[in-house]
Amino acid sequence: MTGGWRSLLRLIAVQGTWNYERMLGVGMGYAAEPLLKDLQTVDPVRHGEAVVRSTEFFNCNPNLAGLALGATVRAEYEAVPGAQIARLRTALCSPLGALGDQLFWAGLVPALVGAAVVGAVLGAGWWAIAGLLLLYNAVRIGTGVWALRTGFDAGMRIAGAISGSWIPRAVERIGPVAGFAVGTAIALSAGWYLEGFGWAGAAGALAVAATGAAVTRWFGPAFTTVRFALLAIGLLAFFRWVGL
Amino acid sequence: MAIVLCRVDDRLIHGQVVIGWGQPLGIDLIVLVDDQVAASSWEQDLYRMAVSPGIEVRFMTTAEASAQMGEWQANGRRALILTGDLDTMAALHAANPTIVHRINLGGVHHRPGRRERLPYLYLTDEELRQLVALEARGAEVTAQDLPTSPLVSLKALG
Amino acid sequence: MTELSPLSAVLLLLWGTIVALDLVSVPQAMLSRPLVAGTVAGWLAGDMEAGLRVGVLLELFALDVLPIGAVRYPDYGPATVAAAALAAGAPWEFGLGLSAALALVLSVIGGWSLQVVRRFNARAIQHRAAALAAGETAAIRRLQYGGLLRDAARGVALTAIGLALAWLLANHLRLDRPTAVGLTLVTVGSGLAAGMSGAVRSAGRGARLRWLAVGVATGILLAVLR
Repeated sequence: MTGGWRSLLRLIAVQGTWNYERMLGVGMGYAAEPLLKDLQTVDPVRHGEAVVRSTEFFNCNPNLAGLALGATVRAEYEAVPGAQIARLRTALCSPLGALGDQLFWAGLVPALVGAAVVGAVLGAGWWAIAGLLLLYNAVRIGTGVWALRTGFDAGMRIAGAISGSWIPRAVERIGPVAGFAVGTAIALSAGWYLEGFGWAGAAGALAVAATGAAVTRWFGPAFTTVRFALLAIGLLAFFRWVGL
Repeated sequence: MAIVLCRVDDRLIHGQVVIGWGQPLGIDLIVLVDDQVAASSWEQDLYRMAVSPGIEVRFMTTAEASAQMGEWQANGRRALILTGDLDTMAALHAANPTIVHRINLGGVHHRPGRRERLPYLYLTDEELRQLVALEARGAEVTAQDLPTSPLVSLKALG
Repeated sequence: MTELSPLSAVLLLLWGTIVALDLVSVPQAMLSRPLVAGTVAGWLAGDMEAGLRVGVLLELFALDVLPIGAVRYPDYGPATVAAAALAAGAPWEFGLGLSAALALVLSVIGGWSLQVVRRFNARAIQHRAAALAAGETAAIRRLQYGGLLRDAARGVALTAIGLALAWLLANHLRLDRPTAVGLTLVTVGSGLAAGMSGAVRSAGRGARLRWLAVGVATGILLAVLR
């Protein structure tokens, strides 16, 4: 796999041209270029078609994009019919988005961030920040290397390679860990912020929290917590202004 | 009623469908109607992986779905019917106009000749005319990518 | 806000830009998490503790965001950098609320600026559609660098606006103590609501929800024992 390391580096910026028209398409094309280079000498016509396909609409979790990149590049080298490669790309958006978002955005990130908040509140300072950055990036870089290799080895047999891999199991296990870490972080930071304000102040802040949780739940996701916060700030400013 | 959403989305099954609509609507069955996917087991394997364990996915051709739709409407499951293109949804409407009455445009993406109507909706003028004709035949066509985003009528897309 | 030397101001601007780029474009290394962005910014502004206080609070808001598919979300990174600069040098009980309010407004502007960059990216792609259809790799590279440049410009502008607003607030707004403390309590309360509703939404109804409850109990215990 010549160009593998350069493609891997370029995958770090796979969302560099994020847009609603092709989403990660152009970023995928950018990352595919070094891997497709050898095809140019073997079969220039095929290379041209492969480059065009590589930039078309694509969307998935950026940390698992290597699976799609590796599999489609392998298929291009094996001269799989173009229409089938296009279908493979489309079909891969589904599991790579769903599994990747659950594993990273809803799993590993809240788990590590929650742990880092707990560490920071308990006085670990820079160690908490460094631990978060080192651990997260070790996992995501390791996953990136694995993804590109696994995708390239599997080619059109990518479905089996994903379902038989560690990913689905990791998705199941990370959820409870993330829940525990986030729960601990929220409760601990509540105490950390409110301990200095006396009972009345703490009760007031918790009342705001309860109202916010209830109101945003009642109105559904259209009324976001940021909107609630801005509204609460506005109300406070208004009451202070009229002299309450 | 058991068929709770008829959606056109060329990404087929993905996060917006499973989490965005599936959770609030309490979907427990996704019927993916696509003649090509129905004939391709490796594609089915990939789409199945994107769905959480509580939801069943069935893959059908347009003909199979048209024939069995009345049955799902009658049983107690909450089903989402998903097609990847407008033609398939139009065919389902033609077969069962009362069941496939409200059609949700959830994602039709860029292709040469298509023009942006909404960030998630690109249509050629011909496709827009096709949708207007569908409404003339009694369907109710609206665009909405997520339950939390505004509902856009076909007229507003022109 | 502490008196910033020209060097610290430039470093803050640079850090805000890196943080803005990190969220979506590159390197997605979690530098844009408010906890990281805020603590580093506080240290640059001469008060790491204030940066940490701001960072943890904005982190509670950020826990309510799931960047799935094409959803729109606030950008808390550069907002936290500006807020940490504003909070630096004052007792956090009085400075945190106003800083968090500034960050929340900036985060909404930041989210909107992401949409703008995405639209410009789409326009650039339409502009080069013929080259892409012809398989020109040079066009792909140029589009990619253009996208990164646009996002970097977004980061510079957003951080600069944030730091300017922080300076204005620090020099022209005098809050009495009850208002300042009230703002802190209201923003902390809202942050707890955001963190909790995000956590509950992600938890579903299974094992994760139970572990969330165990976590909350553990957190209360730790807060009492600390």
